[in-house]
Amino acid sequence: MLKHLFKLIWKRKKSNSLMVLEIFFSFLILFAVWTLAVYNYKNYAHPSGLQTDNVWVAFIDFHAPNDTVKMQYKELVKQQMERYKAVKSFAFSSTNAPFTFSSSNNQFEYNKKKVMSEVMSVEPAFPDVMGIKLAEGRWFTKADEVAKFRPIVITRHLKNELFGNENAIGKIINEGESDNTPTKVIGVIDFFRHKDDFQPLSNCTFVPAGRWEDTMLMKVAEGSGAELEAQIAKGITQLGKDWSVEIQQMNNMKANRNNLVLVPIIILSIVCGFLIFNVALGLFGVLFQTINRRRQEIGVRRAMGATQKAILIHFIGETVVIATLGLILGLFFAIQFPLLNVFDLEASVYLTGMLLAVLSVYGLVTICAFYPSRQASVLHPATVLHEE
Amino acid sequence: MIHLKNIEKVYRTATIETVALNNINLSIEKGEFISIMGPSGCGKSTLLNIIGLLDEPSKGNVEIGGKYTIGLPDKELAKFRNHTLGFIFQSFHLINDLPVIDNVELPLLYRSVSGNERRRLASEALEKVGLSNRMKHYPNQLSGGQKQRVAIARAIVGQPEIILADEPTGNLDSNMGNEIMDILTHLNRDDKATIVMVTHDENMAKRTHRLIRLFDGSQVS
Ligand SMILES: Nc1ncnc2c1ncn2[C@@H]1O[C@H](COP(=O)(O)OP(=O)(O)OP(=O)(O)O)[C@@H](O)[C@H]1O
Ligand SMILES: [Mg+2]
Repeated sequence: MLKHLFKLIWKRKKSNSLMVLEIFFSFLILFAVWTLAVYNYKNYAHPSGLQTDNVWVAFIDFHAPNDTVKMQYKELVKQQMERYKAVKSFAFSSTNAPFTFSSSNNQFEYNKKKVMSEVMSVEPAFPDVMGIKLAEGRWFTKADEVAKFRPIVITRHLKNELFGNENAIGKIINEGESDNTPTKVIGVIDFFRHKDDFQPLSNCTFVPAGRWEDTMLMKVAEGSGAELEAQIAKGITQLGKDWSVEIQQMNNMKANRNNLVLVPIIILSIVCGFLIFNVALGLFGVLFQTINRRRQEIGVRRAMGATQKAILIHFIGETVVIATLGLILGLFFAIQFPLLNVFDLEASVYLTGMLLAVLSVYGLVTICAFYPSRQASVLHPATVLHEE
Repeated sequence: MIHLKNIEKVYRTATIETVALNNINLSIEKGEFISIMGPSGCGKSTLLNIIGLLDEPSKGNVEIGGKYTIGLPDKELAKFRNHTLGFIFQSFHLINDLPVIDNVELPLLYRSVSGNERRRLASEALEKVGLSNRMKHYPNQLSGGQKQRVAIARAIVGQPEIILADEPTGNLDSNMGNEIMDILTHLNRDDKATIVMVTHDENMAKRTHRLIRLFDGSQVS
């Protein structure tokens, strides 16, 4: 039967090649969209490693002339923060706190292996504020300030890149090009998704904050609102002469960052949806035309013993075979992405994208082919055989 | 073999009602070769389509091979057409996109027959009509007479008991027409096929066992 379909399709290769081409392009578009979706979903699916509910961020501008003065100002702020019962915990962080738009990177070296990592300078209370759970070791405390080594906590992704299967805890590494402070890994966390919810597993290092970190992160009691926000803003502002404070909810900051990822994907999907819809309409039209041209053939088949169902399956089958030809062509190109590792994604992401694109194309052509093929199957054989 | 009882066929459109067949009673025995004649529009094709289960009468009973066929589900009708009936048409109705051999195989596609067996049976059928040397040709590379021989091969490939031919020589000159008649006569005599043929040609009709004349939807002899 399949051979029969192939012969018919091959004989009409001129008119079918256009359909093959349309399927080919549709597949590539769907492949791109699905791969992007799968990639982002995979990232989204693993735990974020932090808790943003009821976390607020106060951006404070001290207008401090130098870091020593700033240090004193920061003490004042901390004393003020202690006064709010609704603030469960708080910590100063560098400006690249989670879901801000800034980033700070440095290079880490172990055993001649050099790896880049995001670096956040944070106070010891940071894991309390962000709800971070340690997988191995411990977080740094105030006591570590006088230790011989500067203590750091790293993400598992960085641990794997630097140490592979070795145990990370206790390893001494170098930070930056010419680093004087010997640095020691004391803790590892599994996940830390701090840019947006679609960020892949990445390198991040937490180092103890020094004098200049002026972004205040705080965990507030459930249900705290604008009133507390105003109180805190006012309380901090009045501590200094021309300080300014802006408080944001981390959930909102995260939503903003998520939109930066989602909006382009949604726009792309709409554009693709429109393209695919056009292809579908085209397919639909071509199929109707084909079946209209082949009315007598349908009558002959019925006279020779084809059931209505056999006719339905025949025409859907032809379309599916044509789609398969387009897909084979498309897969040939698509498979190059994992083979040549074009965008540094895992092969499984591409393969899932391919599978979903293949299923979408088959689904699409089956839907498009169904109605015209059904029309073909209910043609009255005596009538169509009588037509000239 | 074939029994028609009180067959009536009325075509109704919004404005007109055409009585194509009126009270037809007809019995055809196994192994008979009969011809149907009558002026254009008298209902010959309609009658053949009803016997061929391609159309249903408005009234009356059709019995083929001991089985009443009215109201059978599509699947049963298709099986009947596939196993018991073979069709030959005036304008051949070959599928132009398929080579001769595939055209002949067509009825076997709707049975469970292996590819090799299909090919073997189709070659045999083509041999019977003397076209073994045209298997790979396409229909548009054949003459009218050759096309009709392919159509006959297609009609007999499934070894049906009944062959229905609607003006099989209508599009052919008398030489080619006679060739086709020779083949049909052979099939009737040697293979014991029951044949019902519509024709406009008295000479062709004379070569059959029995002649049925229709006039305006009614049987006149
Ligand atoms: N599908 C249809 N709808 C309406 N009327 C039809 C239909 N098919 C046939 N008829 C009418 O039924 C009558 C018989 O038609 P039929 O085709 O059986 O004639 P015929 O004897 O085969 O003629 P011819 O020798 O020209 O082939 C004609 O009057 C025709 O117009
Ligand atoms: Mg006719």
